[in-house]
Amino acid sequence: MNVNSDMSIFTLIAGASLPVQMVMLILVIVSLFSWWYIFIKVATLKRAERDAEEFEKNFWMGGDLNKLYEGIASGHRKPRGMASIFEAGFKEFARHRQQARMEVSDVMEGARRAMRAAYNREMDDLDAHLPFLASVGSVSPYIGLFGTVWGIMNAFRGLSNVAQATLSQVAPGIAEALVATAIGLFAAIPAVIAYNRFASSVDRLSVRYESFMEEFTNILQRKS
Amino acid sequence: MLRQHENSEAFKAGALSVAVHALLLGALLISFNWKTTHPVSIAEVELWDSLPVEKTQKSSSVKPPEPVVIPEPVKESSKPEPAPTPLPKVQVDIVIKKKPPEKLKPPPKKPDALAALQKDLMQDAVQAPRKQVVDDALKKLQQEALTDEKAEEGAKNNAVKLAVSNGVVNEFKARIQAKIRANVNKSLCGDGNPELKFEIGLMPTGELSGNPRLTKSSGNVACDDAVDRAIRASVPLPLPEDKSLFTQFRNLKLTFYPNSD
Repeated sequence: MNVNSDMSIFTLIAGASLPVQMVMLILVIVSLFSWWYIFIKVATLKRAERDAEEFEKNFWMGGDLNKLYEGIASGHRKPRGMASIFEAGFKEFARHRQQARMEVSDVMEGARRAMRAAYNREMDDLDAHLPFLASVGSVSPYIGLFGTVWGIMNAFRGLSNVAQATLSQVAPGIAEALVATAIGLFAAIPAVIAYNRFASSVDRLSVRYESFMEEFTNILQRKS
Repeated sequence: MLRQHENSEAFKAGALSVAVHALLLGALLISFNWKTTHPVSIAEVELWDSLPVEKTQKSSSVKPPEPVVIPEPVKESSKPEPAPTPLPKVQVDIVIKKKPPEKLKPPPKKPDALAALQKDLMQDAVQAPRKQVVDDALKKLQQEALTDEKAEEGAKNNAVKLAVSNGVVNEFKARIQAKIRANVNKSLCGDGNPELKFEIGLMPTGELSGNPRLTKSSGNVACDDAVDRAIRASVPLPLPEDKSLFTQFRNLKLTFYPNSD
């Protein structure tokens, strides 16, 4: 004869005390959000790299810069990535050149400033959500641990009223409590991995943008 | 929360994120065996520090026939005594609860018998095939010789032992109850003849292994408490010397009539 004790994940969660359930709820929400951001970031970073690739190819083909600028500025979409840096710099350069009698260095300075501003905006977009992933990665294990400690405290407190303590009296409580740590780790591990990967991707992109800015400045200087 | 350029991905990413969580939940449900089963029947084992010996003694009286029946030289000469032991010993375990005090002689002999038995077993292992038949025949003979004798002997012994141990158990239960009753503050139980039932767990030292459990209340909380206090005040409770009887005291159900005497 056997006694089946139902220890399914649902009964474990339902049987946990309220603070532990709150912790689990917070962690599940956090985990959902972090995965959402992870997928968004994967898509946007991939597109940014593809765009940079494409733009560099077009730019170094040696076509007319005016034509390239027309193509970018007339597009119905707002240019992004390297294209937006190029657009800002070239627009500023052209505007200064139309004004009569301006020092070459002033023109270059203006174009540089415009490009720097566009670059900062681009970097801000690329860096978006990374702080969230970083905090999820570092904090959610602690939140899970808090839930576990709370649950285990309850489990042992219940034990104090019993004279003959057996493992089976604490085991369900501890199993319930450990679910919180499990959820915390499930939220934290992908967040940390994703954060590191995205941070390095963003770094590589920023290096690419900066070198493009330098090269483009040289080209503009030659033209003026 | 979201940049403008991320809106196009937002929905797809959200769906993927939910999918990842559903996947994990599914993996969790499948990979774990969430049903735990506990075997309910627990075998209770009594440990004996020494084998009851009286039967070995007796069996030696039955022995004479065997050497005659089996003329095999090696074995019989080496073990005239132990040969019959294995069988009686096994059955005696069940029958006899307590060593009868009058049989004091056997213990010194027993080690020899055991040693011889061991030697014999080792020999058996070596020459098992050849001896198997002979052994069987021998055992059958012994059994025939022993069964009737043992049957009545066992029954008699059993009855005596049971009577004795029951008597001891009852006596000590009465003593425990008397000791507790002496500590009950009867004035708290009022008039009439209330009846209380308590379950207590004991340790071999006579101390309580847990809180006394009230299984039937007198209806008067003060009276229940008085008996509860009396149980605690009576520690250590008297227990018989014979540790083999302790199993009967591990969980005691006691009934009290505080006003009956």
